[in-house]
Amino acid sequence: MPLPGVISPSCIYACTRFRVRRTALLPREEYLRIMQMSIPEIVTYLGRSEEYGQEIDDLMHDFAGAQLVEEAVNHSLARAFRQALAIAPGGLHTLTGEYLARWDIANVMAVLRGTLHNVPRQQVRDLLIPAGEVDSALLDHLLDLKSCDEILEALLDWRFHPVLAEYYRVCGEQGISARIEGELYRQYYAGLLGPAPSGCSGCPEMAAYLRFEIDIANMKNLIRLHCAEEACDLTVIDRTMIPGGYIPISLFQRLYGIETEGEFVNLFLKTDIVPVLARAVRELRQDPDFSSIDAAELVWRRWHQRRRPVHEVEMAVTRIRLHQLEALSRRHPFSVLPLLAYLERKKYEVFNLRAIARGKAFGLPSERIWQYIVL
Amino acid sequence: MPVDSIKPTRSGLLLVRQRLTLAERIHRLLSMKLDGMMLELIRITEQAVLQRRRLEEQYTGAREMAAVAAMMEGETGVLLAALSVEGIPTYTVGHRNIFGVQLPALEPAMVKKTLDQRGYSIVGTSSVIDDAADAYEELLAEVIASAELEGGIKQLLNDIERTRRRVNALEFKVIPELKELRRFIEDQRDEMERQELVRLRRIKKLKAMRPGSR
Repeated sequence: MPLPGVISPSCIYACTRFRVRRTALLPREEYLRIMQMSIPEIVTYLGRSEEYGQEIDDLMHDFAGAQLVEEAVNHSLARAFRQALAIAPGGLHTLTGEYLARWDIANVMAVLRGTLHNVPRQQVRDLLIPAGEVDSALLDHLLDLKSCDEILEALLDWRFHPVLAEYYRVCGEQGISARIEGELYRQYYAGLLGPAPSGCSGCPEMAAYLRFEIDIANMKNLIRLHCAEEACDLTVIDRTMIPGGYIPISLFQRLYGIETEGEFVNLFLKTDIVPVLARAVRELRQDPDFSSIDAAELVWRRWHQRRRPVHEVEMAVTRIRLHQLEALSRRHPFSVLPLLAYLERKKYEVFNLRAIARGKAFGLPSERIWQYIVL
Repeated sequence: MPVDSIKPTRSGLLLVRQRLTLAERIHRLLSMKLDGMMLELIRITEQAVLQRRRLEEQYTGAREMAAVAAMMEGETGVLLAALSVEGIPTYTVGHRNIFGVQLPALEPAMVKKTLDQRGYSIVGTSSVIDDAADAYEELLAEVIASAELEGGIKQLLNDIERTRRRVNALEFKVIPELKELRRFIEDQRDEMERQELVRLRRIKKLKAMRPGSR
């Protein structure tokens, strides 16, 4: 058992491997090159690359164009994450498993919904990204099952099975899938923010990163609820918000009821979102004078007009968060942070390639696509 | 009674006159209906043109939202959200009466949904999915509105065609034939009257020529 404060050699080895893997990810110049390519050229480029070549070759017979790119990068993501899970030792392995459970939730919900709505097996299979602990074999087995009860039984060993069992009382009840999905994500964050393994290096920083992610997600979801045509009560807000962030849920409940600018801005300025948002807009608009108050007023205007967040600003906030994570991972080189940084960078590499392929398939201009790229 | 079997008598003439009056009244009414339907057609066509333009704009917007959603969430994410939809959007068919023509009135049902009705979890999706869902819901509503107007135009055009055939038949066949028949009967009756007069005068002359009549 390693002494507290002493980093085990296996952890140092794993962190070094993740740092090396991170260097293999696509740099900015490569994105600039890919942006100049057509979709067939992107397919050729990815087919020649070490990271995606195998997937492109495997899927070439079944898919074409942007769909092929998306499927190939998704498969590559699943492979890379499962490899990361295999490399991570001890406590890091547990944390990685918990972190990747997000993909399991998406997969299990897709299988359940497919079964509920009698969607063809292959169609559901194409939607699954087995990047978590629930592997392809188990997912294939789940797809062969005919009823939700059988699926629940087959998932007995899954970490979120108690949540499923508690909520999935009646198969096919209206709105139950959304409620289960929401509860699964709440449990997912609760598990990640739970007591860290003893002597876990970088865990407080990872928790801080996740808490801020929760704050951002809660704020976005609050705006979405506010934009909806129907008014919602405090129970719905309570059900939608994820506990565990820095901002208490009571503050979101207060924000929801505010209809005056001054009150909204004053309350919103107290949150930790404002400085990051201000920085994101400063970088996006190349406007060095954009202050926190301007950011709060920007949110108020969208709030007042009942309009959802600007996607470009959302992406800019994500860029800043990744940048901060990257800096933290450099400060704590032998901790959970290099692993988290690698997983996040790999995820956004896949998202970037997908965004480029999809954007080009829809004929969007390059400048527009570039705004959705996270570097 | 068919036109051919009408005899050139006073009752025949009355019958023809009656039919002619009726035909002229129907012609006038149908012409007025035709004018009304034409005005309604113009009105609905203008609406349909605007509606079609709105539909095209909405379609472009929805495609763009789908593109952004596919870029941010991937087609996988969009399809997963689509898989969650529990209520299938549909419409109910009613009718509205314009100059006796039954035009379709389509009422969207379960097209615009609340966040709860959409079936996906707010926590598990992002706002692009809401934007795409909103855009496609509005597009579907526009499609139904366009279908209602364009269905109405088709129905109205069919009815205009039918009414125009009737008006033309009355104007160029029935009424001229009845007028011809009336003139024929009147001529026949005049002829008969003249024959009768000649016959009476002849009788009178014969009576005057008879010996001992003075």
